[in-house]
Amino acid sequence: MSSPKEIMRENLWTNNPIFMQILGICSALAVTNLMINTLIMTLGVVFVTAMSNLTVSLMKSLIPRKVRMIVQTLIIAFYVIIVDILLRAYLPDISRALGPYVGLIITNCIIMGRAEAFAQSNPPVLSLWDGVTSGMGYMGVLMTIAFVRELLGFGTVLGFPVLPSGFEPWIIMVTPPSAFFLLGIIIWIGKTIMNKEGATA
Amino acid sequence: MNKQSLPYTIGFTFFISFLFVLFLSFAHHTTAPRVERNREVTRQRSILSALGVETSGPDQIQEAFREVKEIEREGITLFRLDDGETGVYAKEFIGSGVWGPIEGVLAVTGDLARTRGLEIVDQTETPGLGGRITEGWFKEQLRDLRIVEGTIRVAAPGEGDTDKENGKIDAITGATRTSERMGVIFKNELERIASALGVEL
Repeated sequence: MSSPKEIMRENLWTNNPIFMQILGICSALAVTNLMINTLIMTLGVVFVTAMSNLTVSLMKSLIPRKVRMIVQTLIIAFYVIIVDILLRAYLPDISRALGPYVGLIITNCIIMGRAEAFAQSNPPVLSLWDGVTSGMGYMGVLMTIAFVRELLGFGTVLGFPVLPSGFEPWIIMVTPPSAFFLLGIIIWIGKTIMNKEGATA
Repeated sequence: MNKQSLPYTIGFTFFISFLFVLFLSFAHHTTAPRVERNREVTRQRSILSALGVETSGPDQIQEAFREVKEIEREGITLFRLDDGETGVYAKEFIGSGVWGPIEGVLAVTGDLARTRGLEIVDQTETPGLGGRITEGWFKEQLRDLRIVEGTIRVAAPGEGDTDKENGKIDAITGATRTSERMGVIFKNELERIASALGVEL
């Protein structure tokens, strides 16, 4: 069994859901043009991944094998709807800005992937930690993409203007293709560093 | 008990679904009044903003909205704010955008000589292009603009036009079709308000 430190290193770096497992790409393209929206959405993913991992791990001995995956989907959908309800009640402006993407957290392969690959065969606390760190690995990459897109697309960081008033925004940065290119660049950089680490190890 | 048997599988699936749905119903029920209040406050804030009343915070919005009278004429709902002259009238609209409906509020003076303001409530235009109809500079063009020949012309290409007497606003660069749709929405809504108020355009 892996230690919490190893799990963190794997989920944040050596087995990062985005640039190693290439999971959760759809939302990486769709909700990364403003950092605040990306932050709230990825916090939602951290919460859902952590809680669904914990719940699946607690219930794993009770779930019949035949309906294992449909029950995991039910658990994930439950936490996603909870996030949606909380956003609509307490952060209505962000809820409106995120629109259908909150509901689409259900379809994020990272969550199902961790429930099936980790929580199904590990103890509850470790599964919770695996969910938190997997979500954070996803958050780290998306926030990096969002930072570049918001900076060059709007001239702002978290809504605060940081570039001079004469700055001409890059229109491509607010449209999804820019996220596609940035994601490619991040995967390239990440893999290059990892290959170098592997060569020196 | 055999956890892989059919009766257990059916019983477990039924029970777990019931339990999660029960929790969700409870969460939805307890936050429903807050969600409804948020929705109403957002609507009131949009109407007030179009009428030229700046507010902040739900309490101030609800307080300011008490001055607004809802009236219905010719089957059209208008919101009237007394300004000591002809009155200012706001109308909610849903018009056709490029990718989906554009919802908003348009406010005009009672004699239809000038617009008072525009607020966009919801839209699905291209982010960074047509989506810029929600930006302050675009909406501010409709603040106290003279209505010429019963319409508002959306002129492309934009020329940085600041003249409030020529009945013209700048189109958005790179979003010609959204700008055209906005022109059609303005024309239709002005006609509807004119018919409701019984005023010649």
